[in-house]
Amino acid sequence: MVFTETKRYYVERRITERMVATSNPSFSGYFAYLRSELRDEVEQFINAFTVNETYFYREDHQLDCLSTDLLQERVATKRPGDPIRIWSVPCSTGEEPYSIAIWLLENWKEVDAYDIEIVGSDIDTRVLEAAAEGIFGKRALMRLSPELVGRYFHELGDDRWQILDDLRQSVRFSRVNLIETRETRPQGRFDVIFCRNVLIYFDDESRRVAAENLYDNLMPGGFICLGHTESMSRISPLFEVCRYSGAIVYRRPQELRA
Amino acid sequence: MTQNAGKRILIVDDAALVRTYYRTALEQSGFLVEEALNGLEALEKLLMQTFDLAIVDINMPHMDGITFVRTLRSKELPVSGVPVLITSTEAGPQDAAAARSAGANFYLVKPVRQETLAEYAAIFCGAPR
Repeated sequence: MVFTETKRYYVERRITERMVATSNPSFSGYFAYLRSELRDEVEQFINAFTVNETYFYREDHQLDCLSTDLLQERVATKRPGDPIRIWSVPCSTGEEPYSIAIWLLENWKEVDAYDIEIVGSDIDTRVLEAAAEGIFGKRALMRLSPELVGRYFHELGDDRWQILDDLRQSVRFSRVNLIETRETRPQGRFDVIFCRNVLIYFDDESRRVAAENLYDNLMPGGFICLGHTESMSRISPLFEVCRYSGAIVYRRPQELRA
Repeated sequence: MTQNAGKRILIVDDAALVRTYYRTALEQSGFLVEEALNGLEALEKLLMQTFDLAIVDINMPHMDGITFVRTLRSKELPVSGVPVLITSTEAGPQDAAAARSAGANFYLVKPVRQETLAEYAAIFCGAPR
């Protein structure tokens, strides 16, 4: 992660939070504490620095592209009953993987004909716990119609809604650091990866490593969707650019035959 | 829709996403829906509650759909006659024949459109074996 001068306030605020939380009045005291690796402080520190703000159906033109183009293309070489694997990384508190599940239920008429596996991963263990719990506030649901909220959530009161148990069970969550190959590789290969708005926080070297890991995690012919301001072409030459009416996505080329 | 009101359907599938897909389709058509994750769980539910129809996936762990319907039909129980629709991703004749000889009322090939599912559910709810 690289923080420029404009992010100084953000960095100071997060470090101050951790100093208060660990009762360290001075930075040098906190730094020594962090170095000592006591009480998972390194993990807490990482958690404090990861940004968690998202909502359901964010960038839904990509979801549209998923059901109208990407999956149609993926199933062309599959048989009914075969697995389709979709990875949401980073998944934050679960809005994206659950959005994918709801979108497919609503918009993809073959949702019961394939063994769809949706995996949500994040480096931050706190958000993963929240994601598995599946409780959301009004803001996270603002883009969903009242019908959709009624169909897939139950109201808990106090402007909080919990996603239905079946949907919670349909997404698996795991902790993954995108630049650690030993953590990305065990996730296996996917048909489609959503990796939105995270590579922008990495420096050039980490971004290149992450791109290579993501390439590894794609099946040949599999797709990766980035945030709409991001471009894989500037990061890695490994991928093909695919232009669909709804979105630009990147593809791992089909394996060359000798 | 009103003719379906109060009719109870048991969805049996190990995939949570599929159960949700079928549940939303059936609930929108006025049915009451319960779920089970495999044939064994479905048998337990059928013994404890009354259902008008079971919609059962063929391919499940612990007890598959064919074994489920055969077991159900072989017992002399009040629930042994509940109508069963088998769903499968196999379009070939083998599974369909196996489903029929085990005692299923009908065989649906996945993908099943939500409207189709609701239509067949209405037809087979409470149908004689």
